Amino acid sequence: MRIDFHTHPVLIQEMVDKYPNYARMARDIFQIGNNFQPLETFHLQMDVAGIDRAVLLPIDCERARGDAVSSNEQVAELCSTSDRFIGFASVDPLKTGAVKELEHAIKKMGMKGLKLDAALQDFELRDSKVYELYEAAEGLNIPVLLHTGMSWAPATLIERGHPMLLEEAIARFKKLNFVLAHWGWPWVWEATALALKYPNVYLDTSCLYYDGPKEFYQFVFSKQIPTTVLERSLRNRMVFGSNYPRVEIKNMVHALCTLELTEACLKKVFEENPGRLLGLK
Amino acid sequence: MIIKLEKIKIQSRKSEEAIDITPKVDEVIRQSGVKQGLVNVMTCHTSSGLLVTEGIPCLEEDILTHFSRLFPEDENYHHRRYLDYDGRLGFNAETHLKSILGGISCSFPIEDGKMVRGSRQTIYFMEYDGPLQRTYMVQVLGE
Repeated sequence: MRIDFHTHPVLIQEMVDKYPNYARMARDIFQIGNNFQPLETFHLQMDVAGIDRAVLLPIDCERARGDAVSSNEQVAELCSTSDRFIGFASVDPLKTGAVKELEHAIKKMGMKGLKLDAALQDFELRDSKVYELYEAAEGLNIPVLLHTGMSWAPATLIERGHPMLLEEAIARFKKLNFVLAHWGWPWVWEATALALKYPNVYLDTSCLYYDGPKEFYQFVFSKQIPTTVLERSLRNRMVFGSNYPRVEIKNMVHALCTLELTEACLKKVFEENPGRLLGLK
Repeated sequence: MIIKLEKIKIQSRKSEEAIDITPKVDEVIRQSGVKQGLVNVMTCHTSSGLLVTEGIPCLEEDILTHFSRLFPEDENYHHRRYLDYDGRLGFNAETHLKSILGGISCSFPIEDGKMVRGSRQTIYFMEYDGPLQRTYMVQVLGE
């Protein structure tokens, strides 16, 4: 079972029709200009990419941006439509009751992980309030996926996503699995170093900032970081992520498969590693 | 004079696909009530197309295969850059070029309330960048 660990349900027509602010958050805050599409298109995009299940990521940026870019409730609603969707929760660490909100999302709403984006949610990664959420996530035995590296969202600062800002937390919360989204680009070596050193660090492949998916992957995962590093040292720490709909899932799958990775390694990236993180059997 | 415009949604299900829309165009003409006139059909997207050819699967395959040969994914396209108005990279230049090559519209005369076309002419909606929900327009003009 192949899993896409990084998707944003921001362009779904049914949600736009139902929730008045959904379109504005997609256009103005997340900033994506593609046409809204029926939910069926999401499934078809997975089908043509050979992806069986997708992690849906909300972003609770209500305090910072006026509303969520998909709320926990909206993600839960989408998950209720299909077993193919796996919902993560997003909680604002600076909001009163953040820990309880996370516990509720995991225990009552069936979410499988925590998503944080310091840039879009406007907080500092080393804030003690964030550590309270890490502690809760560790206790709940869920992974935390953090936006790292550059964000296209217009109101955000790139520096907020520097992966080294996470090292102290990674070292402290040893039983909490950290998934560094976008491989930390442009700080790909820093993200790689964290994954090499700390066994609780995973990297997602939703990494595309110039050229096309294949060209970008060939440069970053071949010339910049030798493919051998992925194959030999990180095969158990990589998860496939597309960042759909900023890029179609099929393009990222195709790009990853053009790297000189063994079938065994690809199976870990698409299936075994995400399955283990999510506690899937 | 009657002028009727229909915007029709269509869901493509593959990355590339040729979808026969001739019966749908016939239906729009019938519903318009136009007996003598003209019908125009046009896609609303720049990575899809509208073309007319013989309606057989081998030709559908040939068109898509040879368009891909003419505009391979791995060519050096300037379009592969960040498009701020879209919030994403444009790495689908080849789909735009296929759309330009194959065309985006067609028109046929209407006589006695029916589209006049050659016995083998079939109208295809061409998906070059799917799967997506798409829209094409059918405008009927006449009396």
